[in-house]
Amino acid sequence: MNPLLPKPATIVDIIRETGDVKTFRVVLDDPEEMAAWSHKPGQTAMVSVFGVGEAMFCLASSPTCRDWLEFSIRRAGKVTSALHQMEPEAKIGVRGPYGNHFPYEAMRGKNLLVIGGGIGLAPLRPLVNFILAPENRQHYGNIEVIYGARSYGDLCYKEEVFRVWPQAPGVSVFTTIDAPEEGWSGHVGFVPAYVEELKPSPENQFVVICGPPVMIRFTLKALGELGFEEKQIYTTLEMRMKCGIGKCGRCNVGARFVCRDGPVFSMAELKELPPEY
Amino acid sequence: MDSKLLRREKLLPFLDRLREGFLLVAPVEEDALLFYRPVESVAEIRLNPGRSVVPPKEWFFPQAESLYRYNTESGRLVLEETLAAAPAVLFGIHPCDLRSFAVLDAVFLQEPVDRYYALRRERTVIIGISCSAVCPECFCTAYGISPVEGTGADIHLSEVGAVYMVEVLTRRGKELVARCQEFFEDNVAGVAEAKEARKETLSGQFTVQVTVDGLPARLGHLFDHPYWEELSRRCLGCGICTYVCPTCHCFDITDVCRGFEGKRFRCWDACLFRDYTLHTSGHNPRHALYQRLRNRFFHKLKYNHDRYAIEGCVGCGRCVALCPVNIDIREVIATVRGLGE
Repeated sequence: MNPLLPKPATIVDIIRETGDVKTFRVVLDDPEEMAAWSHKPGQTAMVSVFGVGEAMFCLASSPTCRDWLEFSIRRAGKVTSALHQMEPEAKIGVRGPYGNHFPYEAMRGKNLLVIGGGIGLAPLRPLVNFILAPENRQHYGNIEVIYGARSYGDLCYKEEVFRVWPQAPGVSVFTTIDAPEEGWSGHVGFVPAYVEELKPSPENQFVVICGPPVMIRFTLKALGELGFEEKQIYTTLEMRMKCGIGKCGRCNVGARFVCRDGPVFSMAELKELPPEY
Repeated sequence: MDSKLLRREKLLPFLDRLREGFLLVAPVEEDALLFYRPVESVAEIRLNPGRSVVPPKEWFFPQAESLYRYNTESGRLVLEETLAAAPAVLFGIHPCDLRSFAVLDAVFLQEPVDRYYALRRERTVIIGISCSAVCPECFCTAYGISPVEGTGADIHLSEVGAVYMVEVLTRRGKELVARCQEFFEDNVAGVAEAKEARKETLSGQFTVQVTVDGLPARLGHLFDHPYWEELSRRCLGCGICTYVCPTCHCFDITDVCRGFEGKRFRCWDACLFRDYTLHTSGHNPRHALYQRLRNRFFHKLKYNHDRYAIEGCVGCGRCVALCPVNIDIREVIATVRGLGE
């Protein structure tokens, strides 16, 4: 098995999430490979556009979805722009899954607070959907989702955020947008302030958070004031990557490689590392 | 361990014999610079090689290599792995470079195994050679390396007078010697002693004594020290230290394509380059040169040790010899040992 060789795959559907984010639904061409694919919430995969390059993305689909993989991708650089120009039926390559995952075993019996900003909900979504799967639901407590974006148009996964998740037993979803806009009757304001307002309890709780660095920084401050400890809070790091298997060197933070030892870190673990991420 | 003798005049005929079954990779001179290259004729080989300018890691981890080819014609996708390695003999490897293979093994052979590196490594027999002189920049002994020991080689040669003392160190080495028995003689008394005497002589030639004890732990307290910023003021960020380093393993992966056909290849990269860690968003975790230089020294002197339990530097002195602004890792080590926290 050559870990650098991608598996041929086909884009079967493209869902427009926001002005610059699309979710690509992908099926591995070899049915056996597809059946054998197995990832955990928080893991990543390398997506190839042949002739352009490869880039690492979080898996946005739940491990319990066996029919396809999903990647939610914002148009930003070479590979993502090429992907955004693709149509269903297009051929790409996928290799992975890579990295560690959210500690879903340790989270059993606990409540979960999910805090996302913009496309930062993508790596957290598989964890929510994994817990909501009928075979797993009984093992977990309540889920609170606090999700914000600049505008209504910048909120991803609207079907899940506004319909599927709020209807699931034991799930509350709180959405917010940065500034008022016509037709929006929900909360207005930044995520950290909304967290302060909602005052989630640190009791028996795990937190997963992902979003713009400034959102994370101020939200952590708010969580600290509410009595949350660093070891309860998990986030997922982004780094430039090439190999995904701990050889090419560039995603190191201290002696750790984000591709292998991450992307998921608790805030307590991050405190021990040099601030080079 | 088996020990044999090889008369000096029989070395080239022996290597020539090896060419019958192996690709022979040996030190050759190109434009007055020493490299390890496959040779067509043993006459090209530089015997008694000094330190090569580019380390022999090139053989296992080439500066650029194709990973696979692809064809995307008419909406289909065909991938073709370009994984190949001929059986080879890598001749004339000095003890510091032998150690560097162990350092690279820790990275490339750790699961998931890098198939490109592993295949070349599996199919290559290594003939080590003791140093005949110590370069002014050498400090291998700081890492417990002896300039006359062949740890990591399959066969190791030490020139003693008119003969080479041949140490047969592995099963593969034994097989190789067995194939070419007529070139070898049994060892005689006095040769091993002469080799030991050589070791004594060489150890007196190291110009700078370097001590690395406790360095990884010590560096742990010095991440935020202003020293790194000071040191970086003269660094040009050229990356030559990484290019000639026998243990640097960073690489980039890029596409080249024309029409529907293309290949994906990898090539050496350097942590001193700004775009090495540059995110698409514009964010750069090591945006300043001092952060990148610090990362390089931390990788060599701490991170590699912390991650793989093997030192990331072998004391070959190439970076010292080639840095255009005389940044000297030996000085860095000595300074760091003397810094207050």
